[in-house]
Amino acid sequence: MPEETILNDDFLRELMNVGEVDLLVGVPTYNDARTVGQVVQAIRTGLLKYFPRQRAAIINADGGSKDNTQELVRAASISDMHHADNLYALRTLHCISTRYTGTPSSGTALHTIMAASDLLRANACAVISPDSTSITPEWIQTLLQPVVNDVNDWVTPVYRRHKFEGLLIRNLLYPMNRAVYSSRVREPYPTDFAFSGRFASHVAGLDTWSEEAARVGAEMYLTIAAITGKFRIVQTYLGPKSRGEGAPADLVAAMRRSVGTLFWSLDSTFNIWSADLDPEPVVTIGPEHELDPEPLRFNRKRLHDMFARGVGELEPVLRSILSHSTLCQVQQVASSPEGELGYTDELWAHTVYEFAAAYHKSVISRDHIVQALAPLYRGRTYTFLAENRDNSPEALESNVEALCLAFERSKPYLLEMWNGRK
Amino acid sequence: MPLPQDALWYKDAVVYQVHVRAFYDSNADGRGDFRGLAQKLDYLQDLGINTIWLMPFFPSPLRDDGYDIADYHSVHPSYGVLEDFKAFLDGAHQRGIRVIIEMVLNHTSDQHPWFQESRSSHDNPKRDWYVWSDTDTRYRGTRIIFLDTELSNWAWDPVSKQYYWHRFFSHQPDLNYDNPAVRETMWGVMKFWLDMGVDGFRLDAVPYLVEREGTNCENLPETHVIIQDFRRRLDEEYPGRMLLAEANQWPADLRPYFGGGNEFHMAFHFPLMPRMFMGLKLEDRKPITEILQQTPAIPENCQWCLFLRNHDELTLEMVTDIERDYMYDEYAKDRSMRLNLGIRRRLAPLLDNDRRRIELMNGMLMSLPGTPIVYYGDEIGMGDNVNLGDRNGVRTPMQWDGGWNGGFSTADPESLYSPLMLNPVYGYQAVNVQSQKRFDHSLLSWMKRLIRIRKSLAVFGRGSIEFLYPANHRVLAYVRQYGKDAILVVNNLSSSAQAVELDLRRYKGNILIEMFGRNIFPRIGDLPYLLTLGPYQFYWFRLRKI
Repeated sequence: MPEETILNDDFLRELMNVGEVDLLVGVPTYNDARTVGQVVQAIRTGLLKYFPRQRAAIINADGGSKDNTQELVRAASISDMHHADNLYALRTLHCISTRYTGTPSSGTALHTIMAASDLLRANACAVISPDSTSITPEWIQTLLQPVVNDVNDWVTPVYRRHKFEGLLIRNLLYPMNRAVYSSRVREPYPTDFAFSGRFASHVAGLDTWSEEAARVGAEMYLTIAAITGKFRIVQTYLGPKSRGEGAPADLVAAMRRSVGTLFWSLDSTFNIWSADLDPEPVVTIGPEHELDPEPLRFNRKRLHDMFARGVGELEPVLRSILSHSTLCQVQQVASSPEGELGYTDELWAHTVYEFAAAYHKSVISRDHIVQALAPLYRGRTYTFLAENRDNSPEALESNVEALCLAFERSKPYLLEMWNGRK
Repeated sequence: MPLPQDALWYKDAVVYQVHVRAFYDSNADGRGDFRGLAQKLDYLQDLGINTIWLMPFFPSPLRDDGYDIADYHSVHPSYGVLEDFKAFLDGAHQRGIRVIIEMVLNHTSDQHPWFQESRSSHDNPKRDWYVWSDTDTRYRGTRIIFLDTELSNWAWDPVSKQYYWHRFFSHQPDLNYDNPAVRETMWGVMKFWLDMGVDGFRLDAVPYLVEREGTNCENLPETHVIIQDFRRRLDEEYPGRMLLAEANQWPADLRPYFGGGNEFHMAFHFPLMPRMFMGLKLEDRKPITEILQQTPAIPENCQWCLFLRNHDELTLEMVTDIERDYMYDEYAKDRSMRLNLGIRRRLAPLLDNDRRRIELMNGMLMSLPGTPIVYYGDEIGMGDNVNLGDRNGVRTPMQWDGGWNGGFSTADPESLYSPLMLNPVYGYQAVNVQSQKRFDHSLLSWMKRLIRIRKSLAVFGRGSIEFLYPANHRVLAYVRQYGKDAILVVNNLSSSAQAVELDLRRYKGNILIEMFGRNIFPRIGDLPYLLTLGPYQFYWFRLRKI
C-alpha cells in the first residue's frame, strides 16, 4: 500500500482528525512563503463561497521549506470562530501542512496529496500551484464543479495567456501529446488542476511514482495517466495565469519536467498510442483558448545565436540522436541568417519524434537527450515568434493547429523510428 | 416532598413542558384537563422532572392554541375550573414539582372584553388599552413575524373605523404598555396567579411590548423598564418566584433581558437549538461551539433555558440564510414540514427515529450550561402529524398505552381535540408510556436515568463550561465545573466511530468515572487522553482526584 510509506505518522494522525471529506484542495510547496498565504486564502474563500455544505480540507505537502511556508499555510487556516470575507462557514475547514520525506519534488508532493485524497475518500480534489497568484476564489468552483457533478475525472485548466506565453506547450507538449494520444488537452502540463476520487485511488496505487520522470514531471505524468486510463477529461477556463515572477525560467529544467516525462511515458504506453486511436474530443467549459494580443518582448537575436551555436557545438550529440536527413535540415536552418531562419512544422515534428525514439532507445544518456533538444527548441521558438509577431490571436491559433496537424501526419514516422526501421 | 427553598432553584430544574389539553382527559370530553394532569403527576415525578411548564390554559377562542387569551383570571372550561387548577398545583408541590405558567403579556384575543370595550368607541375608557391608528403606515420598520399568514402588523377594525396594531395574528391585538393602567392591570393578573401559588411565569413575546416610531419596535429600552418594574415587585412581594423570557433573539440582544440580574431570571437560548441539530447533521461541532462562544456572560443569578423541541416550529429565525437553507434541506425536505421560518416537527421524526441520535441530543441538552426543557411526549419518542394545520401536528394527545385512544381519553375517537398518531412507526400502539415502562432499555427508562444523573450534581445546572478543542471536529467535548465538582462531557456527533485525543493536562491526576455505569477509566496523565466513541455515543465522566 503506497499510503503506508508516503504518509508519516503525524500526518496520518491529522488525517484521522479530518475524517472523510467531500472536497480536498492540495497545495504542493517548497519555499513559497512569498505567495502561498495569498493562494491559501483564495482557496479557503472559494471553498466557503461555493461549497459551504461540503466537508473540505486543504492539504499542504511541503518539501522542507526553510522560509516559513508551512507556518504561513497554517496561519491562513480557519479557526472555529473565524469569519472570512463575510462568508459563513457551516463546518470546520481543516488546513493541514505536512513535510514529506525525501528531496523536494512535485511528484512526491502530488503523490502525498493523492494518497491523502484516497485515504479521506475525497469525491473531488484540486491542486493549486503555490505561485498561482492570479488565483481567484472562482478557480476553486471552476476546477472542482466538473468533478463534484460526478461526471469528470481529470480537469485541466485553460488560461488567458499573453500571446507568446506557454511556448513550450504550444510548440511541443500540446501538439505531440495530441498526436500521440489523440487527446486534445491544451494544458497537458498543468499546475492547477482537479481530479476525482476514482482517479486519485487509481493513481495513488501506481508503482511508478518512484521513477525519476514521474517524480519531476508528475503533472505531465498525471495527464497522461488520465488519458491512457480512459478517465473522463474536461478542460475549464480559469482566466489569467500569473507568470511566476519569482523564479527565473530554466528551459532545460522545464523540459526535463515536461518533455522528459512525455518521452518517458511513451515506453509504458506504447501498446496504447501505437494503436489506431480514435480522436478524443475534450469538452471545454468556457473559451478553448484566450490570448492577450499584446506580445511579450523577446530577444530574437539571442534566440537565433543560441540555436545556431547549440547546433554547432552539439553536432556529435545530435548525430547520435537525429537521422542524417533531419540533422542536415536542422544544420541548414541553423546556418540561415537571422530574419530568414525557418524551422518548419514538418521538420520540427520529425525532430521531436526522432528525439523521442532516441530517448526510448537510450542512445545516449536520456537526460542528455532532453538537454540536447533545448537549443533546437530555441530555433523552433524563433520561427514561431517571427511567424506570429504581427498575427492576430486567431491567426496564431491557426498556426498552432497547423503544427498539430504536422505532428499528427508524422505519427507513422515516430512509429517507424520507434521500431528501429529507420 | 417539600419544595427546596433555594432561591436559585430554577438553575437545578429539569422542566417538562405540557399542554393541559394534550396530556390526559379525566372526563371523557376528548380534551385533557387539570384533573387528568393531576392524575399523571406520579408519572412526572417518576420521570424525574422537577418543574412543569404549562401552556396557556385560560379561556380563549383557541385560534392560536390558547395564546389568544380572553380572560386572564380563569381556566378554560374544557380544562376544568380554578379549583381543579389549585388541586393540581398542590399535588405538584406535594411531589416536589414546581409549576410555571404561561403569561401572554403582549396581546390578548380580540374576543377579550378589554378589546371589545376598546373597539366599541373612541371615547371608551379602554380605548387606549390597545394601539390604534388612523393609518397603517406607522412603525414601518417593524418586521412581520407570521409571514405565512399576515401581510401587515396593522388590521382594520370595521367597528371603530381605525387600524389596530398586532405583532402576531390579526385576532391578537397588542396591548398598549404606554398606558399605566395596562401595566397595573397586568401586574394584577400576575399577582392573582402568584397568590394561588404558581412558581413562575413564562412571559410570552416580551420584546414587543412597546412601539416607537423609527425603530423596529423590538427590545426597546421602555420594554426593559416595564420588565424591571415587574421584577422588582415580584422580588419584594413573592421572593423565590421566577420569570422566564420568551424572546426569540440573538444572544447579544437577549442579554439585556437579564439586566443586572434585575429583569428575567431565565431566558430561552433560541439560537442554540437549531445549531445542535445542524451540528449533528454536519457531524461537526462548529455550529454549537460557535454560538456558545458568542453567548455573552449573564449575571450569577440568571440562567439560560435550553430545549430541543417545543410546541412551536423549530424556529430558524436566529440562523443565517445559509444555515436556514441547510436546515430546510436536511430536516424538512417535504415543504409541508415548513411553517413560517421554521420546521414543525417533533424530536424523534427530526432524528429519523434514531435512538442513538435521540440519546445524544438529550445528553447534550442535559449537559450544556442551562436549564433543560423536555417537551411532553419526547421522552417516549412521539411522532408528529404534518397533515394537521399550523403547529397542531406536534400537539397531538399524549400516548399512554396501546388501548382505546392511546389511554389519553375514553371519549369517542371522533371527539378528541386532535387525531391520535396512528401510523405503525409513531402510532400509540407502537410508542406509548405503558410499553416503555416495561423495559429497562426503553427510551423512557433511559430518559429517567439521564434526568436522575443530571439532578445528582449541581454542576450541570450551575457549573462553568470550558470547551476542549480536540483536532477531531466531530467530537464536542467540554468540562463543566462547579466548586470541587468537575465533569467531562464527550459527544461524538458522527455516524461513525471516532478516536479523539483530549488535552486534559490541567486535570492531571484525576480519575475519570463514567457516570452511567460508574466504571473507572484510566487516570489522566501528561499525554493526550485517548478515547474512542461509537457512532453518536457520548460520555459523561466525573473527574475525581483520589
